[in-house]
Amino acid sequence: MKRFFHHFFLPHESNNHRPKLLHHKTIVFFIAFFLIGQILLEKAKTDFSDVLGATADISVEKLLLLTNRERQSKGLGQLVLNEQLSKAAFLKGTNMLEKNYWAHNAPDGTTPWHFIKQTEYNYVYAGENLARGFTHSEDIVDAWMTSPTHRDNMFSPNYQDIGFAVLEGKLVGENTTLVVEMFGSAQPLQLAKTPETVLQPVSPQLAGERSLSSEIAPSYLKNQPIINSISLSWYIGIGTITLFIFILSIDMIIIERRKIIRFVGHNIDHVVFLGLVLLFIILVNHGYIL
Amino acid sequence: MMSEYIKSHIIYSIFLFIVVALGIVLALQFTNSKQMQMLVVVMTTFFYVAIGIMHHRENHDVTAKIVVEYILIGSLGMTIAFFFLGAL
Repeated sequence: MKRFFHHFFLPHESNNHRPKLLHHKTIVFFIAFFLIGQILLEKAKTDFSDVLGATADISVEKLLLLTNRERQSKGLGQLVLNEQLSKAAFLKGTNMLEKNYWAHNAPDGTTPWHFIKQTEYNYVYAGENLARGFTHSEDIVDAWMTSPTHRDNMFSPNYQDIGFAVLEGKLVGENTTLVVEMFGSAQPLQLAKTPETVLQPVSPQLAGERSLSSEIAPSYLKNQPIINSISLSWYIGIGTITLFIFILSIDMIIIERRKIIRFVGHNIDHVVFLGLVLLFIILVNHGYIL
Repeated sequence: MMSEYIKSHIIYSIFLFIVVALGIVLALQFTNSKQMQMLVVVMTTFFYVAIGIMHHRENHDVTAKIVVEYILIGSLGMTIAFFFLGAL
C-alpha cells in the first residue's frame, strides 16, 4: 500500500522520479474518464431522470422574498405578486420551451410585452429577467444582482408589481429549469426622482382590474431526482483538479530539494493553469441569466 | 530553493498567470451563454499551451515529451471545465 502510494503520488525511483499520476498515460486516462463520463451523465440524465438530474430548490415565495429584501435594502417599496404578471411569465416561459429559444424576443419577433398584454395587464412600465439552469433561488437573485441591467430592473422605482414562473423543460438541447420574472406597473406613479418621465395614460377601469392578490403562483417543477447531477460533476471536477494541483506542488518541492534534473514541463505553469480552472468552476454561475 | 525556482521563471509565470486569469475572467462574464464560455476556455487553454512551449523554446529545452505534457494538462483542465459546464 505504501509502495503504491509512493509510486502513484510521489517522485521516486520506481516511477522515474515523476509521480505516476503525472505520467502521460495516466493523464490520458483522466481525460478519457471525463469525456466518457460526460456522455454517460447526459444519457443517464435522459434515461434515468428520476435518479440523476438537476435538482432545483426554486420557489416563487423565495424569489419574491429575496427580490423584495434587496429592494428594501435600497429603501425601495416592496413589489406585490401579481397573478396576471405571473400568468404572463408562465406564457412566456411556455413559449420559450415550445419554440426552443433563449432570448427576450421570440424568433418570430414576439416581445415579452405581448404576453403581458395577453393577460390584460395594462402596463405603463414593464420589464423582464430570465434565468435557467440554476438550482437555488438565492443563486438566481445573486446572479441578477451582479448584472447591472438585471439589477436596474430589480431596483427600478417604476415597478409596483411582479410575477414569476418556474418551469422545467428542454431548452436549446438541455433539460433545464427556466425562471421568468416579469415586472410591471399598471398605474401612474408619483415619481419624485424622475418628474420628466412621461407616463402613458392608463384606463382607470383596467388599472382597477389589477390584482393585488398575494396568492402565490404555482410552481411547475416536477419530482426531483435523487442525485443532483450538477453537484456530482462539481465535486468530481473540483476533487480531480485539487488532487493534480496537490501532487504537482508536492512533486515540485521534492524535486527541488533533491536537486534532481528532469526534462519535464514546469510544474508551476500547470499549477497556475489548473488553479485558475478550479477558480473558474468555483466562481462560475450555476446557471445563465438574460 | 522554491523561491529560486520561482524567481528564475517569475516574469514568465506572471505573464502566464495574467493571460490565463484574463481568460477565466472573460469566461465568467458570459453569464448568458455556455457556448461562449466554452469557446473562451478553449482559447485560454490554447494560449496556456503556446506560452508553455514558447518558454521552453526560449530555454532551449523543448522536447516532444514536454509539448505533449502541456497539451495533456491543458486538455485535462479543459475537459474538466466542460464536464462541469455540461452538467449545468
